[in-house]
Amino acid sequence: MGFVNIPDRLLSGVEKPARYTGAELNMTDKTDGEFRFALCFPDVYEIGMSHLGSRILYHILNSREDTICERVYAPWTDMEQAMRQHGVPLFTLETKRPVVECDALGFSLLYEMCYSNILTMLDLAGIPFDPKRRGEDIPIVLCGGPCACNPEPIAPFMDAVMIGDGEQMIQDVVETLLACKRQGLCREDRLRRLSQIEGVYVPSLYEAEYDADGMYAGLRKLDPSAPDTVARRVVRDLDAAPYLGRPIVPYISIVHDRVALEVFRGCTRGCRFCQAGFIYRPVRERKLGTLLEQARELVACTGYDEVSLFSLSTGDYSGIHELVPAVMDEFADKRVSVSLPSLRIDAYLKDDLARMRGVRKAGLTFAPEAGTQRLRDVINKGVDEDDLLRSVTDAFEAGWDGVKLYFMIGLPTETDEDILGIAELARKVSRRFYEIPKEKRGKGLRLSVSASSFVPKPFTPFQWESQDTKEELIRKQRLLRDALRGVRGVEFSYHAPDVSVLEAVFARGDRRLAAVLESAWKRGARFDSWDERFDKSAWDGAFAQTGVDPAFYANRPREADEKLPWEHIDMLVTADYLKKEREAAYRASKTGDCRQACKGCFGKKYADYCKVL
Amino acid sequence: MRIIARFSKKEEARFVSHLDVQRLFGRAFRRAGLPVAYSQGFNPHPVLAFATALSTGTTSDAEWLDVRLERDMLPEEFTASLNFALPPGFRVLEALAVEEKLPSLTALLARADYALAFAGEPNEAKLRAALEALLSGPIVIDKRTKGGVKPTDIRPQVLCAGFSRTDGNALVLELSGVLNASGSLNPDAFAKELLERAGESAEYRIHRRAVAFQNGRRIPV
Repeated sequence: MGFVNIPDRLLSGVEKPARYTGAELNMTDKTDGEFRFALCFPDVYEIGMSHLGSRILYHILNSREDTICERVYAPWTDMEQAMRQHGVPLFTLETKRPVVECDALGFSLLYEMCYSNILTMLDLAGIPFDPKRRGEDIPIVLCGGPCACNPEPIAPFMDAVMIGDGEQMIQDVVETLLACKRQGLCREDRLRRLSQIEGVYVPSLYEAEYDADGMYAGLRKLDPSAPDTVARRVVRDLDAAPYLGRPIVPYISIVHDRVALEVFRGCTRGCRFCQAGFIYRPVRERKLGTLLEQARELVACTGYDEVSLFSLSTGDYSGIHELVPAVMDEFADKRVSVSLPSLRIDAYLKDDLARMRGVRKAGLTFAPEAGTQRLRDVINKGVDEDDLLRSVTDAFEAGWDGVKLYFMIGLPTETDEDILGIAELARKVSRRFYEIPKEKRGKGLRLSVSASSFVPKPFTPFQWESQDTKEELIRKQRLLRDALRGVRGVEFSYHAPDVSVLEAVFARGDRRLAAVLESAWKRGARFDSWDERFDKSAWDGAFAQTGVDPAFYANRPREADEKLPWEHIDMLVTADYLKKEREAAYRASKTGDCRQACKGCFGKKYADYCKVL
Repeated sequence: MRIIARFSKKEEARFVSHLDVQRLFGRAFRRAGLPVAYSQGFNPHPVLAFATALSTGTTSDAEWLDVRLERDMLPEEFTASLNFALPPGFRVLEALAVEEKLPSLTALLARADYALAFAGEPNEAKLRAALEALLSGPIVIDKRTKGGVKPTDIRPQVLCAGFSRTDGNALVLELSGVLNASGSLNPDAFAKELLERAGESAEYRIHRRAVAFQNGRRIPV
């Protein structure tokens, strides 16, 4: 087995060479194992190292005696160029082994716009894109993560896809592949074995069919042993699940450079645009005692000075008003601060703010998502204007002068009135700040208003909706920008519409998009989620060459009885429930928090998975 | 109390930037449970300073840090605790308690000794000839400054230069230069100029072997 020689002049010539050198504190000290797993993250080190899920898997896999798990991140474009120039193949950070010598690769799919980086990584590793062309010595290529819930656009590059929580599934996958390795089974047999694991989807066992009009007509099984549908894996008892162990502490600054405590998984709010809110159900909490113990251990072995209470909606944790003070007391004399990435807009917020006062005043973020009450009811975002204004006033009076407001434009049923409502709300927030006497408020208001573009996602009640065209999104962005003029303290930001459209195409795409992706990659598409790297001409060229119309995927409403490319994936929430929620959206009728009353979103089959009530 | 300590930076850690070294020591102090004094304010930082920054990619046996502790402890104890907590590639080699009134280490620095080990086998005779020629007059290089590129004579910053061989018989340029707040020798720029004059191309690794302070000693007191 060889190791990759990475010349100094290569590393000296690239930006942030420490992205590629590994050897950080708490890195596994294993040098070999019977099974070698390369955990691949299709973005740069600073982003990948901030991803909790893959760090949990790193700990789980390296806890196994038979396995060594190593990390690989997408080389930035300068490094990719340097590697090609020096003939350096993709290598692992831990032992600098060529990735192609591992037994399996696992890609984390966090957002659609990272897909081109997967191709870069496969190509630099020397792994053929087409699974059929992969020989017996080529690693098994896996992926998982939230985007795997519609795996079809990336499926033609994957040997197997893992759907749902990975904690137990990754063990099943490694045990199965290890048994296959010991028995010397051929690739085809290994994949067939993988397809028998709950939650694992093997794309090559199915063929996509289309009707004469080019409409998706469903998957045909090529192997009778393949399951009809693949149901998402769920960790039922999160409190007992393994967590981070002794996590790696990077040398270079990463995006989330702190101890992250996963307070709970799932969300009970049911915002209708939010895919995470549906695909991570049900809510599973960690116990207060478990969290405190994890906080203590993690701070001790990392030396971080900040603990972040992480989840989709941390303010909803059932013991939040015990947890926050308990964590703060724990570290009171150790100069470790506590941060909450999301705050609940309710009566207790004032107390939380008072408690957080002693700590650093990071900006507060609120996400009303829409500008009018009507549209907030459509999307089921349970925020009302009075609550929001009261909350920001509390924050201003407590000394905060930086507030971020997140909105979306292009939501279903949206009119210009809703867009102008965003500006109106921002104006009211700004006024609240300047109404407070000078000596009782901060210096100057920094009110950041951010408008992202709505992307319809699978497994949400809006999965049948069309996305606004690029032209319409631009018109609405301008309308909002103009309406915000003159509002004191406002900074307006919005997303590049081209990227949002592409995201919509891939989010609800089918296997025909794989050819588009490959063509765009060959034309130079890399790091598409980075505005400065996004290459529109590469994608335009790819769509033209493959004859695929992006509008067919992004701007076309789906018929209620249309076959959807992700129907063979069972994310537990039933299609009937999503349809009911869609109808409720059109009536602007709210659905309450499921902590209050069960809405039956899992139907009968998985009803016992949820223990919220 | 005030403690100063010399540490090494080796292997993969050579690519860790100066800013990241500062953060890394902050975390190591916390892991080690050292009673480091913190600055006041909403965003308290350890009261920690470094004698000098090291270029990314350069290894060293002579980095110096300067830290305030909230209570007294033996320098040996400080060294042992910190070494237990430091990440791979970093190691404290000696530590000593100093008086509060001692000026900053940056102000006390005078000189640094480097070893530049060449990879491959560049033509030694050519390099020796080029070195002799180089040292006999001004060495004007283009220095990048805020205002653009400026021709600068670095000859006054070169104190001593010659060749030796490592145990593995690799050619080494031994270079001593000025290292202080008002202007320091950049060993990389010197090596590039040398190779260019010799008409040779070779890769090399730079190692800072030692520093000397204004008292002429390897330690500032």
